[in-house]
Amino acid sequence: MSMFNRNEKDPNTGAAVGEKPAEFVPAPVTAAAAAVRPPQPNVQHAPEVAVAKSVGPSVISKALKITGQLESTEDIRIDGEVDGDIHGVSVTVGSGAKVKGSVYGQTVELAGTIEGKIEAKKVILTSTAHMSGDVIHQDIRIESGAYIDGHCRPGTNKVDSKPAPKPN
Amino acid sequence: MPVATSRPLLRPPRAEGRTDALTSHLSKALTVKGDLDSDGELHIHGSVLGQVCADSLVVGSSGYLEGDVIARDVRIEGRLAGRIFALNVTLESAAEVTGRIFHNTITVAKGARIDARMPWRPPSYFETLEQLPEVRQ
Repeated sequence: MSMFNRNEKDPNTGAAVGEKPAEFVPAPVTAAAAAVRPPQPNVQHAPEVAVAKSVGPSVISKALKITGQLESTEDIRIDGEVDGDIHGVSVTVGSGAKVKGSVYGQTVELAGTIEGKIEAKKVILTSTAHMSGDVIHQDIRIESGAYIDGHCRPGTNKVDSKPAPKPN
Repeated sequence: MPVATSRPLLRPPRAEGRTDALTSHLSKALTVKGDLDSDGELHIHGSVLGQVCADSLVVGSSGYLEGDVIARDVRIEGRLAGRIFALNVTLESAAEVTGRIFHNTITVAKGARIDARMPWRPPSYFETLEQLPEVRQ
């Protein structure tokens, strides 16, 4: 009887015991994962962004200050501070951005501050632009409100020397 | 002597946390010769020759960095030649690092090529770091 009772109970307890390890097994894993995790969340969110942005324009955020030279064969957007020359294709200097140095490109759009020189085929100075220095251009647009302290002159542009197509 | 006047290289974390507005991306086509100083996030996919200070730095798989890095979090998927001073360092499987890695926690993925010493330092070392140690063998 007692044997049978035991046998009858055993499967239950056995099942309970069998379940418990099943419960216990994942527990150390999550505990281990939790132990490993703390340093990761700081870095973890990066990959998607990193993969998504490996191509496309470069963005210098307002939190970034660069002391030195930038050279790119693609577009550059600057919202931060650059102390040095910038060579790009299309260079946008956002409002609040500050550049000390020369900016070269096919197109330069300025809404912030440049202390130096702009040399580009097409130059756009928006209403918030603050330009201290010369502008060498082939095509320029200056919006009302822009500040310029310097010469604006059409340059023999070495960036692209091919003549503009003549209108027939 | 100038230690008293200089501020720690590593900034305290920003109160408002990380936002996209503070994230800088240096694309594959961009080369920077000079120093970068950011209190936000920085993603390097091009090449940088110079010292980098940031809250969080990611060197992408096409990225190349030659110089010293001071950051809270560093993640390397590309190449780096220089020294890392960071609390949390993650080296992905495609990483190629030569130099030294001063860290508090480090993760190295299988496949990463590391030719570097990895000295451990307490968090306070990074928080109070004002001047990088001289390069000496």
